[in-house]
This record gives sequence, structure tokens and C-alpha cells, in this order.
Amino acid sequence: MSGDSSGLDGAEPGRSQKKGIYYGWYVIAALFFATFVAIGARQGFGVFVKTWEQDWGVTTATISVAAATGWIVNGISQPFVGRLTDIYGGRRVVVLSLLVMSIATMGISLVTNIYGLIALFGFVISFASGGISPATTGVIVARWFEKKRGVAMAVLISGGSVGGMIVVPFLSYVLIEFGWQTAWLMIGGLALAFGVPLLIIVVRSNPGDMGLEIDGEVSDKSPDARIVVRPVGPKFVEKWRDSLNSKPIWQLSIAYFVCGITTASIAVHFVRWAVSEDITTGTAALAFGVLSGINACGVLAIGLLSDRWQRKNLLGAVYLVRAVAFISLFVLPGPIAIWAFAVIGGMSWLATVPLTASLTADVYGVRNLGTLFGFANMAHQLGGAAAVMLFGWAFTAWGSYDVPFAVGAATLIAAGFVSFSIREKQHSVRYVQVPEGGAVDITEPVSDES
Amino acid sequence: MANPLGPLLHHSEPIDPDLWESLAAKIDHVLGLSPGVMVLFLGAFIVLFPLVVMVMVWRKRRG
Repeated sequence: MSGDSSGLDGAEPGRSQKKGIYYGWYVIAALFFATFVAIGARQGFGVFVKTWEQDWGVTTATISVAAATGWIVNGISQPFVGRLTDIYGGRRVVVLSLLVMSIATMGISLVTNIYGLIALFGFVISFASGGISPATTGVIVARWFEKKRGVAMAVLISGGSVGGMIVVPFLSYVLIEFGWQTAWLMIGGLALAFGVPLLIIVVRSNPGDMGLEIDGEVSDKSPDARIVVRPVGPKFVEKWRDSLNSKPIWQLSIAYFVCGITTASIAVHFVRWAVSEDITTGTAALAFGVLSGINACGVLAIGLLSDRWQRKNLLGAVYLVRAVAFISLFVLPGPIAIWAFAVIGGMSWLATVPLTASLTADVYGVRNLGTLFGFANMAHQLGGAAAVMLFGWAFTAWGSYDVPFAVGAATLIAAGFVSFSIREKQHSVRYVQVPEGGAVDITEPVSDES
Repeated sequence: MANPLGPLLHHSEPIDPDLWESLAAKIDHVLGLSPGVMVLFLGAFIVLFPLVVMVMVWRKRRG
């Protein structure tokens, strides 16, 4: 597609202008679908647990090994796939990841015991799905968008929510109608038949491959010139490891670690807590629906606001709002707390992801973004895994979730203030003019054609 | 140790089987459609979404 260097909209070379829908939004749509299928299929795992228990004669705890392994493997995979994205370009990584994931997902239909499930779901699918995570898709989005980076990230991230709302019921009804093997065969087959070609046809790692500049400006350079100068963040360094010597990456990662702790613990212990408060599973399901709906709206609203306001302030506010949701769980009576949590927590549930990814890109640029955000994602997943166990032990020891929820609220308040302390106006490319020839990435971005 | 299955829709963890059973019952109660119809309806969305995007991109490239 680099041959289409005059820009997709037929703009005259040498003039910066916009016409029609910016191609970056089509890239978002394709990545949205990949996210939708990848996350939907992973969430759908839960639908099959009771069927596998009956078919294989195993317990939920045994099947949980596959899920828990997948959680850890998915977290560990993120810095690796992020690094691959920085080196080889996002397009190659997402295409290969979805290809592997699709085939492995179809392969689950052939599994006859828990060991096969652990191998395919716990390792292969979970590692490959790391390649369709914000550590890779977020890098592509950051290369296509700067002015509207927040809302573009938010639209992409909402693909995960929509995937849960569409793919999980789809798998469930295919299970009822045709059996579990057909369900996995169908979702893997659909991803392979439609998702992989969609990514190959639509996604490009850089707008320069389409003769475009970031945010849809048509290049002022000659039509055949490859765009080689790309603004990077004020804290950009040539080697990604040197980024660890600066404060913002630690501030963002520590806060994101807390995000992992609080979301994973609630995700796993929500029903248990509801039952301990004499709340029915049906009510918990309704509260869950409310939370999901508010979450989808909340993440898009935050994305829109983040392109207008300082992102670190919104990020801090999101953590504090979630802290209020946690406090409501041990202060209010259970039947009221569950709805308070659904409404207040829903507003903050996924909103941290686009904010953290956008801020990382704003501060450090896009050159090493995959690696840096991959590490933040790993911290998020591993923090979550540890919290799930600690919350479980605490409930076993004290018979109540009050203490773990109080600790969760305290960590969220700390994460909020850590986020507020980020000096965005000094470190973000949105506020700091990066000098020409100074902290700019003059290396040609990885091209899909190279 | 707690069962590590069972999240709300966040990131990519599997959904809680008990929570899903209750949710599915509510969906069935509200919509009242057979599983076969639901498969067609949801499957159509999964198939049509990428097709529509590919057609739009194809038209855009043709100008």
C-alpha cells in the first residue's frame, strides 16, 4: 500500500488536508474486531466449565489450573510481544497472533482431557492473545493518532467489552445447540476466516505506509517520500531500558499494578462476596450487566475527555472513583453496596487502559511503546494474580472481605495520588514542543513492506 | 484458595460459570428466542462486522 503515497483521499501532494474518514479509523475498526474475538473467546472459557466437568470427570479447581496458567502466561507474554512489535511492526505481530490463536482455538475442539486444555488454552492461546492486547494494538493506534489518541484507544479497548457481550453468548448458545467442540471450532474458524484477512487487508503499522501522516494530515513531502521523522515523547531514549531511569514509567506502572490488583480481585471474588452477603447470584448477574453497560459508556467518555484535559488528572480521578466503589463494599449494607459498586465501579472499570497507554505514548513516544506498555501490562496481570490468591486467603482466615476491600481502597487512593503527581505538562508531547533534531525519532519506522 | 474463574468483563479472564448461568437465564427470559435463532443472530454480527469494514476500505481505496 505504500505505493498509494498520494494519500487515500486523493489529496494533492504538498498540501495538508483531510477529506472523508481518516484511514486510521478503519485500522481501529479492524483491531477492534481482533480484540473483540480474542477477548470474547478467552472470556467464553467460563461457559464450558460445567460441561467439561461432566465430560471429563474433573473438578472446577482442576479446570481452573488452565485458566490460572493462562492468566500468568498472558501477563508474561506482553513484554515479549511488545518488543516484537517495536522491532517488526504491529501489523505482523497482530496478524501472526490472531492466526496462531485461531488455529489453537479450533484445536480445543479436539482436546479430550485437562492436559490438552492446559497446553492449548493455558499456554498457546494465552500467549498468542498477548499479541492482540494493548501492548501491540495500542502501539499501532498510537502511531496513527496523536490528537485523538485518547478516544481512539478508548474505542479499541471497548472492543473487549463488546466481545464479552457478543462472543460469550454466541459460544453459550452454540454449546447448547451443537455441543462444545463445535463452539470452539466455530469461533476459531470465524476468527481465521474473517479476522485474519481483515487484519491483513486493513491494518498498517504506520500511516506513512499509506502516504499519510499521524492524525490524517497528508504529507507535505513529495508523494514518493517515506515519512521518516516522527515526533516522539520528551522522555524518549534510544534504548528502552534507559526509560526505566525516569519517573513517569514507574508512576504509570505502579498505578497500573494497583489497577490489576483491584480489578482481578473483584472479578474473581465478586460472586463469593455477594453470596457471603446473602445476595442471590441472579442479583449479582443483574449488577454485572449494569456495570458492563456503564463501563462501555464510561471508557468512551473518558477517552473523549482525555483528548481535552490532562490525562494524568483523569487517571488519578478514575483511581479515586474506584476507591470510592471499594469503600462502598465494606461500609454500605450488601444489597445497597452491590448496586453502588456496579454504578461507581462501572465508571472506572476499563478507563485506566486507554489513559495509561496514551500517557505512556505521550511521554516516551511510540518507538519503544510496545516494550514499555508490555511491562506495565505484565505488572497489571501479575498483580492481579497475586491479589486473587491474597483475597482468597484473607476471606478464608477472617470469613469476610472487609479487610481486603479496605486494603484495595487504600492502594487505589495511593494510585490516584501517584497518577496526580505525574508532571504531564513537563513530560508529554501534548504540552512540550519537541525540538527538531533533538529528542526525535529519526529512525525510519518499521514498515510493513520492508 | 479462591477459584480463579469468574470475572466480570475485564481484560481477558474467563467469565464466572455461575454468573453466566444467571445471566443466560435473564437473557432467555427477556428475549425468549431459541438457541438456534440466537446463534444465527450473534453469528451474523460476527461475520458481518469484518465484511462491512473490508467493503468500506475497498471502496475508500477505489476512491
